[in-house]
Amino acid sequence: MIRSRPQRPACRQVAKRLVAGVAASAMLAGLTACGGGGTTVTETRPSGDAWAWNLPAFFPTPKVPADNPMTTAKVELGRHLFYDERLSGNGRQSCASCHRQALAFTDGRGTALGSTGEPHPRGAQHLSNVVYNATLTWANPSLVTLERQMETPLFGESPVEMGVNDANKDAVLQRLRDDAAYTARFAAAFPGDAAPVQWPHIIKAIASFQRALVSGNSLYDRYLQGVATLSPAQTRGMNLFFGEKAECFHCHGSFNFNDQIVHAASRIVETPFSNTGLYNIDGRGGFPDGNRGVFELTARADDMGKFRAPSLRNVEVTAPYMHDGSIATLAEALRFYAAGGRHITSGPLAGDGRANPYKSDLISRIDLSEQEQADIVEFLKSLTDHDFLKDTRFADPFAPR
Amino acid sequence: MKTTHTTRLALTLAATAAALVACGGGGGDDGPQAVTLEFAAVSGATAVKCGTLVTALGSPAVDAQIKDFRLYVSNVQMVKADGTKVALTLGANDDWNLTSGDNRMTLIDLEDGTGSCAGGTAATNALIKGTVPAGDYVGVELTMGVPFALNHSDYATATKPLDIQAMAWSWQSGRKFAKIEVTDPAGATGTWTANTFNFHLGSTGCTGNPASGQTVNCLTPNRMTFRLASFNPATQKIAVDIKALVAGTDITRNQAGAPGCMSGGTDPECLKVFEALAIDWKADGTGTGLPLAGGAAQTLFKAIAK
Repeated sequence: MIRSRPQRPACRQVAKRLVAGVAASAMLAGLTACGGGGTTVTETRPSGDAWAWNLPAFFPTPKVPADNPMTTAKVELGRHLFYDERLSGNGRQSCASCHRQALAFTDGRGTALGSTGEPHPRGAQHLSNVVYNATLTWANPSLVTLERQMETPLFGESPVEMGVNDANKDAVLQRLRDDAAYTARFAAAFPGDAAPVQWPHIIKAIASFQRALVSGNSLYDRYLQGVATLSPAQTRGMNLFFGEKAECFHCHGSFNFNDQIVHAASRIVETPFSNTGLYNIDGRGGFPDGNRGVFELTARADDMGKFRAPSLRNVEVTAPYMHDGSIATLAEALRFYAAGGRHITSGPLAGDGRANPYKSDLISRIDLSEQEQADIVEFLKSLTDHDFLKDTRFADPFAPR
Repeated sequence: MKTTHTTRLALTLAATAAALVACGGGGGDDGPQAVTLEFAAVSGATAVKCGTLVTALGSPAVDAQIKDFRLYVSNVQMVKADGTKVALTLGANDDWNLTSGDNRMTLIDLEDGTGSCAGGTAATNALIKGTVPAGDYVGVELTMGVPFALNHSDYATATKPLDIQAMAWSWQSGRKFAKIEVTDPAGATGTWTANTFNFHLGSTGCTGNPASGQTVNCLTPNRMTFRLASFNPATQKIAVDIKALVAGTDITRNQAGAPGCMSGGTDPECLKVFEALAIDWKADGTGTGLPLAGGAAQTLFKAIAK
């Protein structure tokens, strides 16, 4: 499942991991990645500022933009900003309002609500391992960096999410400038800048915090490392998941359980989007207006209903499912995939999604017994990283302790 | 108002330039001549502005208030009688103008943040000022849009005038080329079923490269390039006609897609709007987003007397 052979930059990261004193399995990977030559590349930044990824050996080195290197100071600033309601126009919503750590940074809602109460047509996505996402949202091939993606929730107008606009964006900055704790954090994160409390720095800091949200310590991860065992049901589910019968792996087969991955050594990155047969409201493949996937951006018929396969890490806690939250439980999701789509028999969304002409050819009826479906659900629960869900490094710094 | 002085000065400069042209070069002055293009928001023959009722828009004809009226204009060229074109060189980069490499652009802002335009900005800009080599020019060619090389820059760090948040179009990682909006004059208690008719023009179907982090391609550019074949900047200005833009469209309701026309490839409210722009748009989403016949049939812009 390691998608690529780590190139030289990986050695640097591995060296850092060795310095950080991580496990023997990491050391093994380090030797392999560095060609056994014992190459060490030392980090030249001041040690207090260096960032050490805490990655399982089978995770590739993350890609980080050259103009926004990871530092502990920036990640910590980003964590504060992520949890700060002052960052919204009306001061009522933070990033964390829709991205709650206990839910792998989803909000438990089918579709999200913005700071002004305006509903979003789609659900807030989880942020586990978002550093590896090639595109960032449900169905937008144009958003390929966390820095750019973030401008949609911060500044977007339709719908309004955080509600920052030309009229209030200076006032929002001033709220932070008036807080001495913030000016110190900005100065630490962006040394040498006389006036560091600026939007580009806010965005870079939050992006750095998001990149730090690595989830790689689930039961399944520990099983891969040989330090834990899966239950019989989970093992059966795993074999189905990765086997030719259920074929879940076609879209969810990477180390991150999705099919859009970018990392430090990526050269060509594919960004597939798929129609899974959720709807067919007009008998011609139609999805509900405003939620037609990539079609909303391209107007190309072939893009109707195409959405990005999300990473299934921590999927146990990210219900409800699909872009619009229209599937409530994992058991229901398995029934949906086993049926090869969804047949809605009444109401305004009625239609046989199984017959959607734009449906991916990877989605077809699968003869999965209830037991087999339940086994796959059990396997999916092994992807929950309970440490990630309560890791204090990712927690709300403003919460009463 | 601040712009009045600016306008008056520009008129003087433009008139001077025109005078030089009229002399037929007899003075031997081959130096650059100043050109000022002035834009004006109109509805048919009537000037419009924020806070003043605009009558008889769309089909059926209804009254409306302007809510926004901003557009990016790029790569202006003055056209000679023989059809040759000369680029208008802008002055120094400032709040409204940007020259970057071969690309030149200006934000035209015809809303002043008052009345129904409360979401806008107080500052306005109706002018593009620049220079061309001395010569006899009979027309002007320009593009409503942001050049691709500048369009997908990061708004948080972008140079003026690409830093205006309202003109950002994050869903396509680009800019709104135009943001022209009209709203129900009765506000929230009005009778329009969709309270505001939004016209947002921009490139759609854009794709990024996750490996480079850059936007690499847009299926549908939607840049409106057109020519006013007969245009004298000394005596005329360029009218942007809201009535022509929404002609044939019912602005009080939204049949489907985004409220109004936000350049959606199959949004029914875009059919007549894109006709006015003379940009290729087809109801089945197969439009190319390219000007039709050089934009010859466009009706949004027209030359009117100052």
